[in-house]
Amino acid sequence: MKPFLLLLVVLMSCGAAGTAVHAQQPPLQPQEEFVPIDQLPPQDQLPAAPLLVAAYCFIVLALFGYLLSLARRLTTVQRELERLEGDVKRSGGA
Amino acid sequence: MPNWFLPAAAICGLMFATAPILIANAPYESTMGLVQKIFYVHLPAAWMFLLGGVLCGVASARYLFKGDPRQDRFAWACAELVVLFGALTLVTGPLWARKAWGVWWQWDVRLTSSLMGWMVAVAYLLLRKYGGPGSDKLAAGLALFGLANVPFIYISVNYWRTIHPLTTVVPTLPTSFGVPLWFSVATFVLLFVLLLRMRVRLEEQRARVDALYLSMDA
Repeated sequence: MKPFLLLLVVLMSCGAAGTAVHAQQPPLQPQEEFVPIDQLPPQDQLPAAPLLVAAYCFIVLALFGYLLSLARRLTTVQRELERLEGDVKRSGGA
Repeated sequence: MPNWFLPAAAICGLMFATAPILIANAPYESTMGLVQKIFYVHLPAAWMFLLGGVLCGVASARYLFKGDPRQDRFAWACAELVVLFGALTLVTGPLWARKAWGVWWQWDVRLTSSLMGWMVAVAYLLLRKYGGPGSDKLAAGLALFGLANVPFIYISVNYWRTIHPLTTVVPTLPTSFGVPLWFSVATFVLLFVLLLRMRVRLEEQRARVDALYLSMDA
């Protein structure tokens, strides 16, 4: 009698679990038609590639621009420093 | 420049050339798809933005309390990098958001506090450029506000309702996303160090020029 009771409990548990899982999942519906992308709402049809390319281009251009600006400023200051040091040496020697 | 600068610059260039390959080979995220790959530059840029804010604030505090001009030069250099990396963050973020959220901008606490942090750094630079004598101390005070804003920016997504991803996203990344991200982070850290060194060098040279002018006047 005991194995039969155990089997009944197991089967009932599986059935209850299966019912619960089935109840939580939305019913699957077969796709009845294909929708062209241009009929989607604007948010859904927005292509990602231009945004991605714009982001990476901006990163590269901004970093390159800053590097150029920094190098130019460093060169200017270096030249001014060399000129001043030359002036100081000349005035010291005179 | 120090001896390590050129080898480090070469390594950084190599890493910048390698990073896009790793990023291109990373899998697409299930809900955002291709546009999620902005993450690999947006997040490192944002971290450098926050790191710059912390360094600028700490150096400014040390300048205010100890009066060491080297700290002031360091803070000035950091503030410029905060503006640079903040701009990268604030431009790449909306480009990602346009696809992922459907809007360019959302006035939520993470985005707004980041914009405020960036504007504090811009104000710092404007003050240094046009503030005249005494602007160094004023700017240092301003940098303390920028420093106070940094933890607020970081934790804001965990305490307020927002559509921005939480800070828990990064520790739970699978390896396929994690490898390109951490490589990109290492690249940005190295770039940050190199740019900071160059910018500090510029301030050092300017200080030498000023000292020479003063010695000529005396």
